[in-house]
Amino acid sequence: MRAEASANGLAARLIGEGLVLAALAGWWLAARGLPEFVLPGPLVTGERLLDLFVTPEFLQHTLASSWRVVAAVMLSLLIGGGLAFAAEAAPGLDIVVSERIKPVLNSFPSIGWAILAAIWFEPGDFGVIFVEVAILTPFCLINIGEGLRHIDRELMEMGHSFTRRPGRILWRLTLPLLVPYLLSATRIAYGIGWKIALVSELLGAPTGLGYLMLRAQTAADSPTFLATCFAIVLIFVAGERLVLAPLERRFAQR
Amino acid sequence: MNASALVLGRAPRRGRVGRRTAGHLFTLAFLAAWEAGARAAPSYLLPGPGEVALRLWKFVGSARDLGHLAASLEHVGGAIAISFVLGSLLALLPFYLPVFRFAVERRLGPFLNAFSGIGWTLLAVMWLGVNSGAVVFAISAVLVPFALVNMSAGLGAIDRDTVEMAASFTRRRGPVFRLIVVPSLYPFIFATIRIMFGVAWKVTLTAELFGGNSGLGYMINLARQEYDTATIVAAIVLIIAFVHGMDRLLFAPLQARLERHYAR
Repeated sequence: MRAEASANGLAARLIGEGLVLAALAGWWLAARGLPEFVLPGPLVTGERLLDLFVTPEFLQHTLASSWRVVAAVMLSLLIGGGLAFAAEAAPGLDIVVSERIKPVLNSFPSIGWAILAAIWFEPGDFGVIFVEVAILTPFCLINIGEGLRHIDRELMEMGHSFTRRPGRILWRLTLPLLVPYLLSATRIAYGIGWKIALVSELLGAPTGLGYLMLRAQTAADSPTFLATCFAIVLIFVAGERLVLAPLERRFAQR
Repeated sequence: MNASALVLGRAPRRGRVGRRTAGHLFTLAFLAAWEAGARAAPSYLLPGPGEVALRLWKFVGSARDLGHLAASLEHVGGAIAISFVLGSLLALLPFYLPVFRFAVERRLGPFLNAFSGIGWTLLAVMWLGVNSGAVVFAISAVLVPFALVNMSAGLGAIDRDTVEMAASFTRRRGPVFRLIVVPSLYPFIFATIRIMFGVAWKVTLTAELFGGNSGLGYMINLARQEYDTATIVAAIVLIIAFVHGMDRLLFAPLQARLERHYAR
């Protein structure tokens, strides 16, 4: 039985890795018959991908986008969390947050923020982070709000029987109970930050991977363009596997 | 809640009225702040709520503007249909052939999930040119992982005993799929479409702005070049109202009905 499962696992793995190899081979074959600006080969794209993490000229774009996404995720957690806490704490504010602020932020098109920021602010970090925060905040608000709604009321009551200091209850009880939701909000915001919020760099940034992508596309520099797309995939996956997944495992054990 | 509130049952109603008033007051305060900001800034930076309302009114009466809205709806509808079919097929592959689970869930899924939406949009423009096909391709590429993840979750939640029971009645996979698998997936199908509808509007405008020759995103792009900020804000307000209205008036009640029907 176990040998059969192991053989199936091996076959599944072979098919999975074979699919990757087949895709690379298909790409290589297709690229041979096409001009480089239409489809560059995997080798030239791989070389440019390496440049994005090694050459200072390209590395500055990678680092600029990375720090903006990290800063935007942290700010969105703070703002989204603040709004969720305000809605829970003040009875008059819950309808303001849940029926006014949340629907508007949640339905606001991302390119709308990017265009408005390009009109309102000078190109630079502030405008980009503003747009990313505006796009990510509703996701954090929804997740943390859910967490606050599902908090164990009996545990909170027990906490109140030990101390009346709100700061102590927040630090010792509410925040630890919210950790799974905070992590989930971080994971979602991080993903959306790389996949969608990068639109902010297309219109209002002189650096960053979004800017580099648009510049490469306009100049028909397909290797740089594709390499930038793959760099985003790599950074996204690395952040998930090296930071977010270990954090989730660590808190799941507690 | 105090004792009198429990006995009379009036406190919650007063609370509800108070909360509604707080909501309306917030809306009024926001509109007032917007108007004050608009008076202090030039129109191309921040048009006032009146100017935007006027532009919205013109939008409703303009065949050209409504044509752009219809084009966006077509793009969203087409992309949701394509990505739903593709995502569902990808989810069904490991359900019926488990040997493909690793390939779909550990290789293809994460790759599609991590690929940037902007990347798909600009790639579509490079390969397909500036047209509706490029827009639908870009939106579909962004939506496929949402369909894949949700439908996989739905297939994973199917009651194995029911499938086994159905298999004891017939060995033909078609009727089991049609009569057992698909009905079990209804709540997930609906949730998937609801999520995709929300996400689609977030990426449609970007795709239309860079790769379209019609649609609200294209219209916004023209307005941006002419510094016609009132049109940009009017389009944004229209999208917010449309997306929120559809979610609240159509999707939420339908989902609540489905959940009641399929509650275990």
